[in-house]
Amino acid sequence: MNVIAATDYWANIPIGEHLWLVSPMIVLVCTMLAVVTCPILLGRRTRTITAVVAIGVTAAFVMAIRVAMQVADGGTSGLSTVSGSGMLIIDNLSAGYQLLMLAFLGCVIGLWWIGSAATERDAPEFFVLLLGSALGMVLMVSTSNLLMIVMAIEMASLPSYALVSFNKRDRAGAEGGLKYMIFGAICAAIMLYGASLLYGLAGSLNFADIAKMVALSFAGGGRDVVLVSVALLCFFAGVAFKISAVPFHFWCPDAFQAAKIEVTTWLSVVSKAAGLILLVRLVAIFCGTVGAAGLMHTVEPIAWGIAIVAAITCTLGNIAAYRQRSVKRLLAYSSIAHAGYMLMATAVFIHPDVAGSEAGISALLAYVFIYLFMNLGAFGVTAMVYWATGTDDIDAFTGLIRRAPALAIPMIICLMSLVGLPPFGGFLGKWWIWIALGRLDSTLGWFLIMVMGLNTVVSLYYYLRIVVRMTLRDDGQAVLRPSFGGMAMVNVCAIVLFPVMFIFANGFKSTADHFARRMFVPTADATVSAEPSVEGDHSAMADAWVDDAAGHNDRDVKRP
Amino acid sequence: MTDHLLSIIVFLPTLGALVCMFAPKDQVRKVGVVFTLATFVLSLTLFGTFFTDGSAAAVEEAFGSSYGTIRHMERHDWIVSDSFTIEYYLGIDGLGFPLLVLTTFVSFLACVASWNFNTWKITKSIKAYFVLFLLLETGMLGVFVSLDFFLFYVFWEVMLLPMYFLIGVWGGERKEYAAIKFFLFTLGGSVLMLVGLVAMFMYSGDAVTNAMRMAENQDPATPAYVTTQGVESGYRTDGFRLTGGTFDLIELATNKAIQAHFTAIDTVFLGLKFAPVMFMFLFIGFAIKLPCVPVHTWLPDAHVEAPTPISMILAGVLLKMGGYGFLRLCYPIFPTGAEHWAFLLAMIGLVSIIYGALCAMAQTDFKRLVAYSSISHMGYVLLGLAVMTPAGFQGAMFQMIAHGISSPMCFFLVGVIYDRAHHREINRYGGLWLTMPQYGTFATIGFFASLGLPGLCGFIGEVWVLIGTFQAADKFAWAYPVAIIAAFGVVLTAGYILWLIRRVYLGKEREQYMGYPDATGREKFILVSFAVLCIAMGVLPMQTVFNFTNGTLNPLLAGVLAAQG
Repeated sequence: MNVIAATDYWANIPIGEHLWLVSPMIVLVCTMLAVVTCPILLGRRTRTITAVVAIGVTAAFVMAIRVAMQVADGGTSGLSTVSGSGMLIIDNLSAGYQLLMLAFLGCVIGLWWIGSAATERDAPEFFVLLLGSALGMVLMVSTSNLLMIVMAIEMASLPSYALVSFNKRDRAGAEGGLKYMIFGAICAAIMLYGASLLYGLAGSLNFADIAKMVALSFAGGGRDVVLVSVALLCFFAGVAFKISAVPFHFWCPDAFQAAKIEVTTWLSVVSKAAGLILLVRLVAIFCGTVGAAGLMHTVEPIAWGIAIVAAITCTLGNIAAYRQRSVKRLLAYSSIAHAGYMLMATAVFIHPDVAGSEAGISALLAYVFIYLFMNLGAFGVTAMVYWATGTDDIDAFTGLIRRAPALAIPMIICLMSLVGLPPFGGFLGKWWIWIALGRLDSTLGWFLIMVMGLNTVVSLYYYLRIVVRMTLRDDGQAVLRPSFGGMAMVNVCAIVLFPVMFIFANGFKSTADHFARRMFVPTADATVSAEPSVEGDHSAMADAWVDDAAGHNDRDVKRP
Repeated sequence: MTDHLLSIIVFLPTLGALVCMFAPKDQVRKVGVVFTLATFVLSLTLFGTFFTDGSAAAVEEAFGSSYGTIRHMERHDWIVSDSFTIEYYLGIDGLGFPLLVLTTFVSFLACVASWNFNTWKITKSIKAYFVLFLLLETGMLGVFVSLDFFLFYVFWEVMLLPMYFLIGVWGGERKEYAAIKFFLFTLGGSVLMLVGLVAMFMYSGDAVTNAMRMAENQDPATPAYVTTQGVESGYRTDGFRLTGGTFDLIELATNKAIQAHFTAIDTVFLGLKFAPVMFMFLFIGFAIKLPCVPVHTWLPDAHVEAPTPISMILAGVLLKMGGYGFLRLCYPIFPTGAEHWAFLLAMIGLVSIIYGALCAMAQTDFKRLVAYSSISHMGYVLLGLAVMTPAGFQGAMFQMIAHGISSPMCFFLVGVIYDRAHHREINRYGGLWLTMPQYGTFATIGFFASLGLPGLCGFIGEVWVLIGTFQAADKFAWAYPVAIIAAFGVVLTAGYILWLIRRVYLGKEREQYMGYPDATGREKFILVSFAVLCIAMGVLPMQTVFNFTNGTLNPLLAGVLAAQG
């Protein structure tokens, strides 16, 4: 049995077509190598290095477009059939994320070029770290294998710690980075502990198998419930850390404030989005497996768990943002609050009604997409103000409408969008989560709807504090002359939020629906085990699956 | 010119805003006036609806005979998702039409009132002012013509941000506080409304699918309007059948399956009866806008701090949105909720009338006095609705429109004298009628209209509401005492208005105000426009208001009463 699995593993060495599917990642890795070797061959000139990176990212982006097109018509084609265990999944979701992430990477590099390139002496190191975390994030959204998840999260996190404290002479940066790292290391340890427990309990690294084990345990017919719960909780600590859900959020404000603003932008959006999409995939697999086994009612406590964490996260984030003077820090708390909103959409999945869970996934994807623009815009303006005035204190924004209307107006749009006020894009995102929650028609759904509604009102006040300073007050500070590229970027974000998003809401939503429907969800029954199976004490259940998998393998295996 | 007329009216000011952005600075106010005037004229063409076949009966027929007779309907699918369809659905009936015309009218005059922008205390960025002003108008017009709840909600919120800036940037001393208070109060209310929006959609979906399931199972109890293809629409005559939840405000009110589900006692929301809970959610949202007493505190601040034209808009149009919300959403969709809360609503209305009047009496700030008088007047609207009699409903509607004419006029009157004296202390004025005879005359008309003098517009609404309250005596034991106490409100109103007129306009001429120029041509134009309507509505209430509204109001009320059994 083990031999078969092992053979299978080697039999499925990726063929050329599969390599195309991972080509953006390969390009990213090559770019990293190029950036490392460049200083040896061509010297450490920032301009050269940036050019190399720009070429690399552009190439990766082009590849990503190709991948997106390739998987778009095939649904879940390509690698996913090879590694049904979810070792590496390239589907609409991961391809879409990859595309957006690379575009965002371009924007972040652009921001860096505008603001920091002139004084940066360690560009190669910076880029290696940035690209490394990007690669980790892409892997995060492209897997449902326990081992791979842990690896990807670490791959995304480790460079981030260094990025936060990248400026060696800055005490605050060092402190933020250290906090981030210590917190991250502890979370990683907890997650590893949980992962090992889960593996031990289920005898498989495939999350679908684990999901079935959890459901059986909750139904009372399997492993010890307490042990399983502890294992799950520990494992999800790692994910919660990535999306900065309470109580794993403490690193977020410090790290965000300490980091350079382009790094903050990077972490606040893409890293959280990766965490959320990973969570989406895991929860979707979980629901698919559990739903197929007809055990959905047994896992309702998990839905409540997520709901309560989400409610506390957004409330705490919003309340803590109240008294912040640093706009970076304020936006950090706001990003915690938004993580809470997005977590709410996750709670929707765990519901017997499959169509309902699709609405949740679709709402979450739409929200992540909109959130990308809102935060890029808001951080972009903050960056522009920071570079011009040397501070991100809220007072630096005073009178911005006179000093730089081309920054102030997009900032107003982005902030109101973050509040969730119609007719700005953020409202649509919230609205779709609301309606997905409403579909539940349960106490949980209405509870979350009300929590989210109240939080909207609470959040209005602190976002308005910035708006008030920008528009209603003026203390005669000097006029800003931001760079054209930066202004163009934030204005494009604002225009997407209003009116583009509203006019094309329909197409936008149906794309999200499409993504949600086409998401590749491996289930326990369709497992083609790609990892070498372990020896030792399997439960009867796990044995049965491996047998089943072996059966599949006999039929499906493609020998080169 | 027929089908897209409402869209054109709603978005013409937006176009004006765009033109303002690119117009030279000294031309901006002209652009503003031209566009608001054009919008006003276009909205007047809607009167053509009433003369379609040239007969006198056409007036009765235009919106008459049933709730859901919509004119100038325009509907397209907007956001179609797996689980819901949001429409771009505009139309007018006897509720929206008069308020639409009122909005374009008041906006036009407020725009004319902004003509002296350059003489204000804060003259920064005239462009931004007119852009925001015109965007505000789009938001307001949109609220009165949208018949899709989602669209309604979007327009409802669209006007928040422009209003916030208009108060916050060009307001008085405490403008920041006033603006943020306005914003927070309204957003708080609209969040409750949003919960209602989601819940109404979900529950209407339940109603329809349950009914269809009955039909599929060939349950003998299946009503005739349900088939396996869907549920017959409550008002559409094109054979349309509903197959899921809806945001259509008229459908929610008229569809039998939805209404049966909404009014059923065993329909619960979080363990509470559905209709009363939803009624309350929506009610709080609209009550904040109306505003009535426990949630009124934003209004005096906003009014006092706002510049004159914005006060005119606030009083003339924004407050009407609350009343319009009651009539469009609360009553037709949740009739049993209305019955459940009738006493509470009447009490809130009554307290608003008396408390508002007493507060007005205690004010020494001219503008604050007018603001509190608005609260008192809007109390009549709530009382008239709460008693659910024909006279009460008609009176409430009339009161809204009458107040939409008289109170902007009062605010403008305050503005005229404020422009000259730069203070609003009532006790420092005196004898202005002698100084400015023409202005004094208009002031008397305006304030007497607000007072409710017979022959002027304020009278009809108040009397209708009081009559309606008396008529409700056979339904509600509390109707008589409430009516009697409310009638005392009229006396209080007379008290503070007469006292105001004595202190400001009568008495000896004061030296410091001598030599003030009388009303200018522009001011007279605005005042005459308002005054003519004050008198016309007081003398010819049928021809000016009731003929246009009753065709919708009466069937609406009949439906509400029928649902209550």
